[in-house]
Amino acid sequence: MYDFIIIGAGVIGSSVAKELSRYQAKTLCLEKENDVANVQSLANSAIIHAGHNPEPGSLKATLSILGNKMYDDWEKELNIPLLRTGAFVAAHNKKEEKIIDELLDITKKNEVPEYMILTGDEARKIEPNLAKSITKVLSLPTTKVTYPWEVAFACMENAIINGVEFLKNKKVTAIKKQADFFEIEVNHQEIYQTKYVINAAGVASDDIGGMIETPPFKIKARKGEYFVLDRRVKGFMNHVLYPLPSERGKGVLITPQVHGNILLGPSSEYIDDKYEARTTDEGLAYIKKHSVELADDIPFNMIIRSFAGIRSTSTCDDFYIKESKNHKGFYYLGGIESPGLTAAPAIGPYLVNDVMNVGSEFNLNSKYDPKREPRLEFHRLPWEKQKQLLNDDHLYGRIVCKCEKITEKEIIDAIHGPLGSHSIKGIKKRVRAGAGLCQGGYCEEKIIKIIARELNVSPLDVEYDDLQSKLFKEETKVDE
Amino acid sequence: MKDVIVIGGGAGGLAAAIETHQSGKDVLLIEREEFLGGILNQCIHNGFGLEVFKEEYTGPEYADQFIESFLEEKIDYLLDTTVIGLRKENDVFFVKTSNEKNGIQFFRAKAVVVSTGSYERTRGQISIPGDRPYGVITAGSAQRYLNIDGLLVGKKVFILGSGDIGLIMARRMKLEGAEVLGVAEIMPHSNGLTRNIVQCLNDFDIPLYLSHTVTEIIGDDNHRLSKIKVSKVDELFKPIEGTEKTFEVDTLLLSIGLIPDVTILDDLEVEIDQRTKSVKVNQAYETNIEGLFVCGNALQVHDLVDNVTLESQRAGQAVNRLLDKGKGDLSRSISLSPGHNLGYVTPQRIDLDFKQEFITLSFRSSKKMEKATCKVFQNDELIFEKKLFFVLPAEMETIQLPFDKIKSDGNISVELEVKS
Amino acid sequence: MKKEFICIVCPRGCHVSVGEDMNITGNQCPRGKTYVENEMTAPTRILTTTVRTIFEDQPRISCKTDNPIPKELIFEAMKVINHIVVDREISIGDILIENILNTNVNIIATKPSRKKE
Repeated sequence: MYDFIIIGAGVIGSSVAKELSRYQAKTLCLEKENDVANVQSLANSAIIHAGHNPEPGSLKATLSILGNKMYDDWEKELNIPLLRTGAFVAAHNKKEEKIIDELLDITKKNEVPEYMILTGDEARKIEPNLAKSITKVLSLPTTKVTYPWEVAFACMENAIINGVEFLKNKKVTAIKKQADFFEIEVNHQEIYQTKYVINAAGVASDDIGGMIETPPFKIKARKGEYFVLDRRVKGFMNHVLYPLPSERGKGVLITPQVHGNILLGPSSEYIDDKYEARTTDEGLAYIKKHSVELADDIPFNMIIRSFAGIRSTSTCDDFYIKESKNHKGFYYLGGIESPGLTAAPAIGPYLVNDVMNVGSEFNLNSKYDPKREPRLEFHRLPWEKQKQLLNDDHLYGRIVCKCEKITEKEIIDAIHGPLGSHSIKGIKKRVRAGAGLCQGGYCEEKIIKIIARELNVSPLDVEYDDLQSKLFKEETKVDE
Repeated sequence: MKDVIVIGGGAGGLAAAIETHQSGKDVLLIEREEFLGGILNQCIHNGFGLEVFKEEYTGPEYADQFIESFLEEKIDYLLDTTVIGLRKENDVFFVKTSNEKNGIQFFRAKAVVVSTGSYERTRGQISIPGDRPYGVITAGSAQRYLNIDGLLVGKKVFILGSGDIGLIMARRMKLEGAEVLGVAEIMPHSNGLTRNIVQCLNDFDIPLYLSHTVTEIIGDDNHRLSKIKVSKVDELFKPIEGTEKTFEVDTLLLSIGLIPDVTILDDLEVEIDQRTKSVKVNQAYETNIEGLFVCGNALQVHDLVDNVTLESQRAGQAVNRLLDKGKGDLSRSISLSPGHNLGYVTPQRIDLDFKQEFITLSFRSSKKMEKATCKVFQNDELIFEKKLFFVLPAEMETIQLPFDKIKSDGNISVELEVKS
Repeated sequence: MKKEFICIVCPRGCHVSVGEDMNITGNQCPRGKTYVENEMTAPTRILTTTVRTIFEDQPRISCKTDNPIPKELIFEAMKVINHIVVDREISIGDILIENILNTNVNIIATKPSRKKE
């Protein structure tokens, strides 16, 4: 019997897992995908917003303002990457400038610690590529950018070290309420028992709720498409650029990323099939059309890929972080759309302390360690340290991904780490091997061989992403 | 200190290393893979060497000719070694390498030849809409898996792009038991050699859809490619409504072009040509940085390896000349640019004090032309012309421009013209 | 029946037709005629492929027919080639299969087995 089962290991589920690991409790996190943060948390703008947008007094406002501050602690404790970009919200004419004033009002009410109004010319002194048509800018210096996948990864890795169990490829297929516990059926076969259930299933959170009751909200998924510019464009734009918000969300943004790339997007479109993260001609054209309103001379020739992400907008306006009205012990984390990533560090403590009051039932985990060691990035280390590591392990000398300068030892560590992965995509997310200009053209073959060797399996068993995605169909010339 | 460091042990690097070593230079060649020969190792088809050896070799056989000479020369080389830094200080190049055996090392050299080949364009660079399933693979990667490792990436295959690798892979996958449903090319003409169209597609009844492109990629529940949609396109490459066909496939091979790989030069202030997506060079394949030479596919994408060899030999000779005679006065130079009907031209610069009898100009036409004349203008004045029987964008052309025709000032433009 | 060929003797790529009366049209030079006559009567091809080996670091070695074989025998030849396994060190040009399908053509290695250092 578990004390807590968390369904979903996105940014939110992982933040909850980390928070629960402060207590002496038996906690399990179930993830249907082959890795943490594989759906909503993987494909988004990666922005930690300052708080100029959410309705004052809402959970979105309170938790995101707090979350933004908490990222500074997480940067130190969890070693997640942060890029302190600041942001500009841009207006092009008198009418839009009025909206800037309204946003300024919200910004003040939300007690955003720093903000400033700049003229277009003043802003262009700071960001020379800002569109000449921009007349007024709301500057938000506390806006930051992170790598959302690594936020979830770091939280879950820390949670695992502090005693939480994590199981991937476990899709919840049924939930039964017994007298004072829940039975969670996984993959139509295994059953896990738990006293408390935390539904952090993101896009699927209404379906999970629907397994025991009529869920208090429905998820209306929205899709956002993006272009990624190669990291050689680094410096083209150093701030996050927002257009003015509309009913379609925050609009098409220009967002520098922690690894040096720049994102253009998202488009925004409600979709019927909420798992359909598919790029379209229209969506991509929309991004090109609207991104030029923010910056001049965008280097579209440096696009290295496009992708689409899902956002789980719910039928309630605000985050839904509550216990089920019908089933005590079943908790919802619903409708966590933007600014969900920003709020993530605050959502875990809010649920665990304010909503669930876990401390009244469970003692603190005396061995809890809030620190998570950073991933070793060999080619960013000082020479002395490199020399020492090379002495210990020669595989630090073998470069596998030449675009990102990733060594064989780093890949082996990513395979065997506490939250290791042996899929090509999992390795790419962990060490960025294959994320560069050639998009894996040079190194994928080498990574396959390393995975096969480390797991002692045939290359035919190596997966691209999830369990079914074998890279090869067959070996030639072996029939009969 | 070495005289020359050659980066890359493919066709280009081998030829440049042999050329410089034979004139008595102290040479070190650095190769990233565990073997010499580069991409030729996976190009097991024939058709190589007709120019250089007047004989038809397969890729590995062609490579072996040079590997044997290279080994006989007893040239220093490092395998399984990646160059992770390249800089120049006070006329000396510092090449930073990394490998398993020796860790990180620095080598110094008077000259560097970069022959690092090219990389394949991927799906992201052309933004095909749809899902992001597995099974969308560049043709060159699939070729390596099949020919070197014996692993087949798919059983029902469609190919986007009619580049030679795509055509060659259509035949290879068919021979190894896959079903190949077709090849789509967005241009109205093929980007591959005609003989590959005939022997790789027509021989096996594989349809070639010209002026067609893949408009959507669809994956199944397991994130494996399951379907693609292909449409005919108009002159502006926009899909034409009502022409859509759906193919059920497990693999889409991309043969949509190669890009010179000069990422190794990122830390140096080299001049880039947006047309070749590589560096600008003079007639000796020397960049704007003295002593830094670039040749082979790293300079411009070739369709025949023979041209890579010849170009790299010329680069090697230029290195020898620089090391033997020292630099000339390189301040006097004129620029070369592509004019009418030309996609690009190399070299982009002629250094007037670097005299040689002929300058080899390489270029591609921007369209198919019959009985074209290549005209070289300087200051709008025709200084040289050569009749070309037949030109195709898919086939790189070279002409020899006599040095004495070039005047001491005024920029040069190279054009293709058809007599009307 | 009319048959269409693309001549591959030179880059021009003439589309050559052969009519029912065997008259050849569309070729712009005599070499095109010879090419099409060969293609009509006895088309042959060099086959290039790979063979399996027992070497872990080199699971396949490339090979080819040392002379062209009839086009219609290509898939049958593949079957024969797919059944052999190289279990010894070889050099370029070594015969892997002699007289494949009684064509008087051999399958020869086009790559040496990798030398151990």
